[in-house]
Amino acid sequence: MNGMAGVLRRGEMRDVMEKYVRPEKNPGTACSGCGLRLAHRKVLEAIDELGLGLGDVVWGTGIGCSGRQTFVTWKGDTFAGTHGRVYAMATGLRLALPPEKRLILTVGDGDAFTIGFLHLLNCARRNVDMTVVVFDNLGYQSTGGQYGVTTPLGSRTDSSPYGAWEPNWTQGGFDVLRILKEAGATFLARHTVLQGHEPVESLKRAIRNRGLSLVQLIYPCVTHYGAQALGTRDLAKIYDWFRDRTVESIDADSSDSFTTGIFHDAVGSRPEFAASMREFVASVQKEGNHG
Amino acid sequence: MKRTFDTGNAAITEGAILAGCRLFSGYPITPATEIAENMSRRLPQVGGFYLQAEDENAALHICNGGSIGGLKAMTATSGPGFILFADPFGWAVSSEIPVVIVNSQRVGPVSGITGAPGQGEFYFSRYLTHGGNYETIVLAPNSVQEAFCLTVRAFYLAERFRTPVTVLADQMVTDGWETLIIPETDEEFRGMGLESVPRRIHPGPEFYPASDAIDIPPVVLGHNTGAACSDWTPTDRGHDTEDVTWQHKHAWRLIHKIRNHRELIDESETWFLEDDPEIILVAYGTPSRVVQSAVRAARKEGLKVGGIRPISLWPFQDALFSRKASYLTVELNWDGQLVREVQRAAAPGSSVHFWGRCGELPSVRELLAAVRRLKEGKALERDGWRTEAW
Amino acid sequence: MAERIEILISGFGGQGVVRIGQILGQAAVYEGLFTTMLISHGTETRGGYVRSQLVISDEFIDSPVVERPDYFCAFSAIAYGMFKVLCTPQSLILHNPDLVTPDSALSARHWAIRAESLAERELGNAVFANVIFLGALSSKLKSISSENLVRALQDRLPPRYHEQNLRALELGRSL
Ligand code: SF4
Repeated sequence: MNGMAGVLRRGEMRDVMEKYVRPEKNPGTACSGCGLRLAHRKVLEAIDELGLGLGDVVWGTGIGCSGRQTFVTWKGDTFAGTHGRVYAMATGLRLALPPEKRLILTVGDGDAFTIGFLHLLNCARRNVDMTVVVFDNLGYQSTGGQYGVTTPLGSRTDSSPYGAWEPNWTQGGFDVLRILKEAGATFLARHTVLQGHEPVESLKRAIRNRGLSLVQLIYPCVTHYGAQALGTRDLAKIYDWFRDRTVESIDADSSDSFTTGIFHDAVGSRPEFAASMREFVASVQKEGNHG
Repeated sequence: MKRTFDTGNAAITEGAILAGCRLFSGYPITPATEIAENMSRRLPQVGGFYLQAEDENAALHICNGGSIGGLKAMTATSGPGFILFADPFGWAVSSEIPVVIVNSQRVGPVSGITGAPGQGEFYFSRYLTHGGNYETIVLAPNSVQEAFCLTVRAFYLAERFRTPVTVLADQMVTDGWETLIIPETDEEFRGMGLESVPRRIHPGPEFYPASDAIDIPPVVLGHNTGAACSDWTPTDRGHDTEDVTWQHKHAWRLIHKIRNHRELIDESETWFLEDDPEIILVAYGTPSRVVQSAVRAARKEGLKVGGIRPISLWPFQDALFSRKASYLTVELNWDGQLVREVQRAAAPGSSVHFWGRCGELPSVRELLAAVRRLKEGKALERDGWRTEAW
Repeated sequence: MAERIEILISGFGGQGVVRIGQILGQAAVYEGLFTTMLISHGTETRGGYVRSQLVISDEFIDSPVVERPDYFCAFSAIAYGMFKVLCTPQSLILHNPDLVTPDSALSARHWAIRAESLAERELGNAVFANVIFLGALSSKLKSISSENLVRALQDRLPPRYHEQNLRALELGRSL
């Protein structure tokens, strides 16, 4: 994205932001220049394009930059979970909510793929109807920049001063999305926020899915990842690095790139958990009490 | 009225269902597994949801999630699972969401002994999460029937106070079998002194007022109220803030909505307190049953002994200990926990003593022997332990 | 006037220690009596013992602990060895002499019941031994009628086991 497109998109941003975001939370807490605002906006655009209103969505958030940016921004019903546990909360909430309500969680890569991964895997196993949007800033940035499981190998961060060397879940033949696929998730996609409308299309499909959807949205952190790992706070340079690293194919070699696209589309292939639960309960009630 | 012979686990299950519990999430653990098993059978029959979680942390989070969706929810565990509640318990306290927690105390620390009773979570149940700045409600049954009644009570208080309520039982209460009377009509329910309130829905979008008021409906999502529910320090609209003034208002509400309504919470049983007791035995949970026998037996011997059983443990009922006396707490632990609180609360000039054991109950004989030693001014000993050295 | 009866039942896991306590307790509840039963377990899978401490009374039971058993059903030598010290001259110890050798130093009364071999001979299976013990024990408990005992047994056991267990109960009661 260059300067021109940036200006144009900022204009649009105000519209969906005004429509859906509590005025006192607009534009949010992200550092200036951070890709997080773009990410936030992509979700709102998807909601907008699906024609969903404030009453159609319940919005939950995790902890970290993404949690801070999106927490209690949604003008409708919204909640914030503890770090990594919002998936478990959402499972309980899903059982209580009417099935047509869309449940969207905006979380970080640390929240989803490390501290909360056990819970996320179990949501995938059950195919609980929720859309998890992972705003991936390539590590722990809200705590000042430490490496995580999506941090590119070799990156210098405050906790990897010699370069990140621990195996991660995005390189060396690993892909965190594959684990989630095996666990039973029914829609999985990965994009960067610099990819224009493509992420919005994936988000729309994710939100429509009556099951566990996850969209990994990689975005540039200026303040920490940019400064520490890329050695620059210059937006243009950071964005260039992102663009160079992005491959418009989900199957490509990921050793030095962000492979993007729809990773797994099995929408409708498995029963959704809350629906199955309701059916099960109804069948027990119908067959009478055996206890 | 249904009269049966059943376990505390069954009593807790039936109490929860009568109180309107429609979501149970838990993780199997001795000796609370049977609650989960009973729930898995009973909840679908009444249209409720049983959900086996990946761990206890998830279990209580699932309950919290169900509760913010409007379901009355409960989880049950024992020590090694109870420690994993720190995170979701804190969330429910600070977000002011009703939920009920049952802990059947066993022998610890860590795995300890699975099928034997302990009382090691007296303080832990009070300080189950970090950060302080809150008050909490803990109820301790000493019989199967009371496990039933206090479970109903826990749901009632959780709704009115918008907070988690813990039923602190022990293995003897939950695994033990006893006569259990279950009401079958609303009239019988009320006749047994039981109360219940339905879940109400906070109109939103403002958060709770900075006051000690109770009976404010908790936040429920999905009703288009623009409700915001979170564990961050809230302003009056529920937003996150780093402002200490708002934090203070929040803490004040968390503490005083409970402390200023003690009349709804405080509950105790006492024996011979009006008959000039010189020595007063203190216990909660199953040991209090033996204490009750011991107090009676001591009176028969002409000893001036009384007894106190706190039923609500937290907030602690200091007023129960306003008499100057020699207090002896009887606990299922070797380190002495309740005794510390009694020492703090006891009237000036009192002396406070401790008789502990873990894994099995004391006998009346042993307690009488301890009482006699106290009367003679001798230190309490057992198996070579200076049990007084708590 | 309160009458408190203390019963201790102990043996290996799988010997029906808890089950016969449940039936007896249930029968007592049908009689309108108060009953408590503490179960100690957790060691049964490791070859230890299971113990039921049953107290039956016509008023609220404060201590549920069996300190001086009126009746002690000792199903194994380990259980007998563990709990015989609680017995007084008033105690009656029900035991199978094929499994438990009475301690002649004890002042308690002993009642030898060869329940296993009786069950095998009369019912074709030693598993009914515990219900024979239950029958024998219950014949001493004046406050529990045989009707309520039968009702409790039918409540606590699946219907397909009723017939043989009722015969075992009768066998025990007629000893
Ligand atoms: S620390 Fe980085 S990721 Fe977080 S808000 Fe600032 S720029 Fe964005």
